[in-house]
Amino acid sequence: MNTTEPTVWRLTAAAAALTVLAGCASVSPDGLQGRAMEQAARSAPTLAAQLPPADLAARSDAQTQLQVWLAQPLTQDNAVRIALLHQPALRVRLAELGIQDAQRVQALQLPNPHLTLGRLVNGHEREIERSLSFGLLDLITLPWRTQRQAEARDHATLLAAQDVLQVAADARRAWLRAVAAEQVAAVHSRMVEAAEVGAELAQRMARTGNWSRLQWAREQALLSDAHASQARAQLAAATAREQLHRTLGLWGANARFTLASSLPALPPVPADVLNAQALETQALEQRLDLQAARRQLDTTSTRAGWAGAAALFGSVGLGYQRNTTTERDSGHRDTTRGWELELPLPLFDWGGTARTAARLEVERSAAQLQDTALRARTEVRTAWLTYRTSHDLARQQRDEVLPLRALIQNETTLRYNGMLASVWDLLAEARTAATASARAIEAQRDFWLADTDLRLALIGALDTPATTLGTATPAAAADSRGH
Amino acid sequence: MQRRQFFAGAATAVAATSVSRVALATLPEPATQASPDTAPPLVPPNGRPYQPVVTLNGWTTPWRMNQGVKEFHLVAEPVVREVAPGFFVNLWGYNGQSPGPTIEVVEGDRVRIFVTNRLPEHTTIHWHGQRLPNGMDGVGGLTQPAIQPGKTFVYEFVARRPGTFMYHPHADEMVQMAMGMMGLWITHPKGQHPHIAKVQRDYAFLINAFDVEPGSKTPKVNTMLEHNIWCWNSRAFPSISPLVARRGDRVRIRVGNLTMTNHPIHLHGHEFEVTGTDGGPVPPTARWPEVTTDVAVGQMRQIEFTADELGDWALHCHKSHHTMGPMGHGVPTMIGVDHKGLVGKIQKIVPDYMVMGERGMADMGAMEMPLPENTFPMMTGTGPFGPLEMGGMFTTLKVRQGLGANDYRDPGDFQHPPGTLAYEWQGAPAATPRPARVDAPGTAPTEPSARKPAASGHQH
Repeated sequence: MNTTEPTVWRLTAAAAALTVLAGCASVSPDGLQGRAMEQAARSAPTLAAQLPPADLAARSDAQTQLQVWLAQPLTQDNAVRIALLHQPALRVRLAELGIQDAQRVQALQLPNPHLTLGRLVNGHEREIERSLSFGLLDLITLPWRTQRQAEARDHATLLAAQDVLQVAADARRAWLRAVAAEQVAAVHSRMVEAAEVGAELAQRMARTGNWSRLQWAREQALLSDAHASQARAQLAAATAREQLHRTLGLWGANARFTLASSLPALPPVPADVLNAQALETQALEQRLDLQAARRQLDTTSTRAGWAGAAALFGSVGLGYQRNTTTERDSGHRDTTRGWELELPLPLFDWGGTARTAARLEVERSAAQLQDTALRARTEVRTAWLTYRTSHDLARQQRDEVLPLRALIQNETTLRYNGMLASVWDLLAEARTAATASARAIEAQRDFWLADTDLRLALIGALDTPATTLGTATPAAAADSRGH
Repeated sequence: MQRRQFFAGAATAVAATSVSRVALATLPEPATQASPDTAPPLVPPNGRPYQPVVTLNGWTTPWRMNQGVKEFHLVAEPVVREVAPGFFVNLWGYNGQSPGPTIEVVEGDRVRIFVTNRLPEHTTIHWHGQRLPNGMDGVGGLTQPAIQPGKTFVYEFVARRPGTFMYHPHADEMVQMAMGMMGLWITHPKGQHPHIAKVQRDYAFLINAFDVEPGSKTPKVNTMLEHNIWCWNSRAFPSISPLVARRGDRVRIRVGNLTMTNHPIHLHGHEFEVTGTDGGPVPPTARWPEVTTDVAVGQMRQIEFTADELGDWALHCHKSHHTMGPMGHGVPTMIGVDHKGLVGKIQKIVPDYMVMGERGMADMGAMEMPLPENTFPMMTGTGPFGPLEMGGMFTTLKVRQGLGANDYRDPGDFQHPPGTLAYEWQGAPAATPRPARVDAPGTAPTEPSARKPAASGHQH
């Protein structure tokens, strides 16, 4: 904002300032949504491609894209796009941003002047008073207020941008969970198939007399367990999918999309996340919540500068009067002109409480900035640690556990070939291998969740506690012990 | 396959071993053997004459005469034995092989044996069945201190009575015998013994068993009975040499058992007599005809017969599991279990799966399926008429017309004279068997089942 140095005592200058400032005081046509999106795109360049276009016409075009996106298996990027266009909670938040903007513009409009008309009649005179006056304080403080409102707008925009990023992150998380849960459910179906074959063959063994009812019952019990685990896995998949629907803001026919069949492959650890220290620095520079807190501190400290004056001078009023007195008999008119300044007398309130409040507000903002910075640092460190560990774990599952399981299954087949192991040993290994692949899927999912958390922690506050590892499917673990 | 080196002169390759010549300057050079093939009999170059034995897939160690004393040198050491083609096992043995070399002496010989320990732990040697001074009996702790690694002990005694004997450790013997430490000792009679006949063929072997996890190389020494590798002289069929005889030869087979269970040794086509034990020759009046003799644990049996029937005659342990290679004893019987509709499902889960055992286990002998590495099939070996479905303690006695007296080569498959071979019935086919009935578990069958196993198990 280019504000001229306000010279309270020179009305002409003030009037010129008014003309300039009035330019700022218009409602943004998209209710600041474009600004919020731009801010989000600046903060998260990787996300820029998924953000809805700033202008409203293009955005409504994007809406029609929805059916195209939903017609193909839903990718993670499309999930984010849909969420940013459709999610009602985000739309609520953005509408609020628009309302705030409108209020800002309203606050910046010049106070309406007061026109006072009076007609006074006595025996020989008729006096008509015309007085045009308005509160001078509003006018005097307009540059400050303009600046403050601009800061408040930036603050709100930053917070809204952060909401946008969080919605995007939520969409990613929901998509990851839904896809992983669907994959895990498919693995459980394979386990059920293996158990079904085992139980069926066991039944035939018992019928032929080769096995006892006890041996058959053991295989049946494995099948029952497998069915129970499958039911739980299917419920988990359905729940995760419902969460995805909520996060994307989809219902009805729109919710009948197909999910992508697998999670993205595990990437190599990018060089830029290898240095935790650098990441902390980056977060302190970039994070929107920190920027917002800084902006808040600026605002409160500027405001503190004139809080006392405002309290002291309350409503300084300036009026212009033009009074016409007409002699009733002669019809002679006499016009008096002049101005009137209305000043409150600082007898009781010298503005001390307002100043204290303002000072405390500055203190609060400073403390808030400090707190936010502290949180930002630990959030980044936690997210970074989780990222590295989950990457190691997922890589271990992919590069060590799964190949080992494949080797074990292969060796068991060789032993079966040599009649050294039975078909039930083969099926048991198949079940164990399936459990391992479920764990590998979960590890891959955990990595991508940690990736989402880390990317978010670098640009904004984490809305949910960071992904916790080590909670992988106790039910599946129990399965693998069953033979 | 055993023909390769049979007549390659001294197949007992006398080579320098890891034992230092300087350190053993006064010791006889230890002879060593690398090949698992049957070595030709060692005709005694000096000392009292005798008719040498043929050690099945083994060899006889040469000796040094030192002022009338026969000096032998045994080196106890880790070895790798090819138990079957492509199947190598880490064993402990003597002079490059497990079992160690056969020691052949004559009744009345003074024998001095140097024993060098190249094992990671102490050992001793017990001369099983010998009359000797108590201090030469080789029981660690009882009759002598153990031979520590790197040390050499000397045993010296007179071979007082003729017969078939063994040697093996008597220190940590459970481990050392499970690892294959053993050898044969033959004391030939001096001159003509009234109870010991002159034979044309004299074969000797030890029965031993190992537990080698499929895919591994070292025996599990703690296994007591559930062994899976059943051997004669640490070889398993089809790698055990055939016993060859000229028609009309008198044949002696000396068998010693150093496993933890008994082995009924069965010969086809001939009756034999047990002519000796480790206690000595059996008086002719005490012998009785047999086709199977049980060789109990720690025993030796000498059987003799006249090889008068031409052919390839099976000689094997009659415990059927002992004529098998490694098998899963926990694998359930699948006979008669219908796999219809399940094979595809299993293959979906285990792509390489094939049905086996539905009709019995003979599939195993015919199918050549990939196995774990360093594992030989449960049933293997092929004869002129197809798979033999044997592995382990099985070989053949091959009786042929007009073989050379010293010809021990495998004469190949027997050519059956016309009219002496089982043949397929060419008449009307037998009645179609009734389809198998299925009984609910736990109910008595209403009629006998034609399927294996015989459904008599319920009538107790």
